[in-house]
Amino acid sequence: MAKAGKRDLASDAPYGEIGRTATEILTPEGVVLPFINATFGERVGALLLDWLIMILAPVVVVIIWLILPLEHVFDGGKNKALGSFVLIVAMLFLFFLRSGYFIIFEMGARAATPGKRVMKLRVISHDGGRLTPAAVFTRNALREVELYLPVTLIFAWSANHSAGSWLAFLWALALLLLPLFNKQHARLGDFLAGTRVVHMPKASLSYDLVDLEGDRNLGLSFTPDQLAYGEMELTVLEQVLRERKPAVMKAVAARIKARINWVDPKIDPPGDETFLRAYYGALRAHLEAKMLLGRRRKDKHDAPV
Amino acid sequence: MTDDAPKPVLRLKSQKFREARQSDWRALSTQLDKVERRGLGSFSIDELLNLPLLYRSAMSSLSMAQSISLDRNMITYLQALCVRAYVYVYGPQTRFKDVLYSFFVLGWPRAVRKLGGEIVLAFATLVAGAIAGWLMCAHDSTWYNVFLPGEQGSRGLDSSAEDLRKTIGGNPENHALSPFAVFLMTHNVGVAISTFAFGAVFGLPTFALTLYTGITLGAMVWLFAQQGLGFEFAAWLTIHGTTELFALVIAAGCGFHIARRLMFPGDVTRKQALREAGTLTGTAMIGVAVMLTVAGCLEGIGRQMITDPFARIGIGAVMLTIWGLYYTSVGRRKPGEGA
Repeated sequence: MAKAGKRDLASDAPYGEIGRTATEILTPEGVVLPFINATFGERVGALLLDWLIMILAPVVVVIIWLILPLEHVFDGGKNKALGSFVLIVAMLFLFFLRSGYFIIFEMGARAATPGKRVMKLRVISHDGGRLTPAAVFTRNALREVELYLPVTLIFAWSANHSAGSWLAFLWALALLLLPLFNKQHARLGDFLAGTRVVHMPKASLSYDLVDLEGDRNLGLSFTPDQLAYGEMELTVLEQVLRERKPAVMKAVAARIKARINWVDPKIDPPGDETFLRAYYGALRAHLEAKMLLGRRRKDKHDAPV
Repeated sequence: MTDDAPKPVLRLKSQKFREARQSDWRALSTQLDKVERRGLGSFSIDELLNLPLLYRSAMSSLSMAQSISLDRNMITYLQALCVRAYVYVYGPQTRFKDVLYSFFVLGWPRAVRKLGGEIVLAFATLVAGAIAGWLMCAHDSTWYNVFLPGEQGSRGLDSSAEDLRKTIGGNPENHALSPFAVFLMTHNVGVAISTFAFGAVFGLPTFALTLYTGITLGAMVWLFAQQGLGFEFAAWLTIHGTTELFALVIAAGCGFHIARRLMFPGDVTRKQALREAGTLTGTAMIGVAVMLTVAGCLEGIGRQMITDPFARIGIGAVMLTIWGLYYTSVGRRKPGEGA
């Protein structure tokens, strides 16, 4: 079974994902919903994807412009009105890429830029309320001071190592890495706008592992003393049974059998998976029955219920 | 009880619970896929009315499951499902008309009024910069080249009054004016966003940028004034300047506000203070972008078509009056209306 050090990680993990934190939001229905915080890596990944799009989009447009047979349209000052129209569209397009890209996409219904969508991220209001246009504007305007300026300053520092540039470099680095130093991985713009970036996985509903009827027919049963584990171990056992790796199941079955002094029946002993599923079913039935009475056992170190 | 009666199948409460409800969950999941792919617009009335029902049923399932079931996969699935549904049910589904109303009639002028103190400070900075620019250039004309290093050609110290007059004339023949307006708008919005964002560095860069804008303004006014073109230049500047400089002053005021709440959060936590400041200034800054679009049109089109100094000053003054009235009177709470 899991080592003691792992215990808190698994039990506190939202959605059973170990090592991730969540922003808990109380819905108007009175249910606490855990929104998984995006990791720093996911956020950087989304940003790099967005930057790639922002750089490639003008290149693609220029290539299309060159491919189209347009060279004679503007010859000798013809079509001036069309020319200035094209110029306006081009300038608005560049302006959109530089200043409006993040704002427009995050104001949409998906509340995410294309890069964020790929990484399954989304911007939410920190209290679960409506994401206002003002908040989206603020969080993205602040990119100016926590992203573009630091990057410029770091380039300046690499060219010239004077005392002032060292100071600017350190400050820039601190702003850039701020998401690493808080639990929700929020950057300065998120704090100012009261927004958070969360990860929205698409979980699928798997089958239920418990088959008490089948276990009864096989004749596998356990005494209450033998059900000597808590909810944490049940979660780990569920994970083992869903992954179905024979070597892992064999090792886990051996550990459990040793702990509960299990004696295999002489005739037709159950396989590792059959045994583990039966044990999982019995343990879950036991823990859930006690749970209905308000008695829960967090893990095997807790007092038996 | 007789022997041939079928034995009840042995099942957990959590399994029965799941079997009774999972069709609703799957229905909600299908609907959410549809929203994500095609938006709410593709829903029929029945489907729209059904969505909150499915959402509430999933929420109640989740809160129930957390207290009766230890099936991690099911709880995980329900959490993810409810989170996905939540953002659509309580998402930004305000009608476009309401968004416009609450911004133009309520949010924007109110935000600017709340920033009054900082805006006055920003304005004072700009004026101080302008006076300093004028006085320094009047004292020693070489300062002009320091402040405006890019202006050696048409608007340099050596330019004659005739050269200068050309730069502030109009250009009614040119058809390529609207691109110029768009260029000015995009450039100024960029500057305004920087001025605002730099407020997060304790307001110092915001202060410096505003002061510098004032200094260049003062220096240029001095240059034109000493050639006897002060009035014409003022007219050239006023037609769009009242709107553009007003917008920049508001942007600087927003920057100062962020700096102030960052350093002196008052009675609330710093986190809370920053959040309040961010929402307030964000609203005002969207307004600044609107103002700069208007200013870009006045500068790029209006200033080129209208060359009479009195008409220019007139338009500038009218714009200033409109902005002033808008900010001071629109969206005031009626007496007796609560906060």
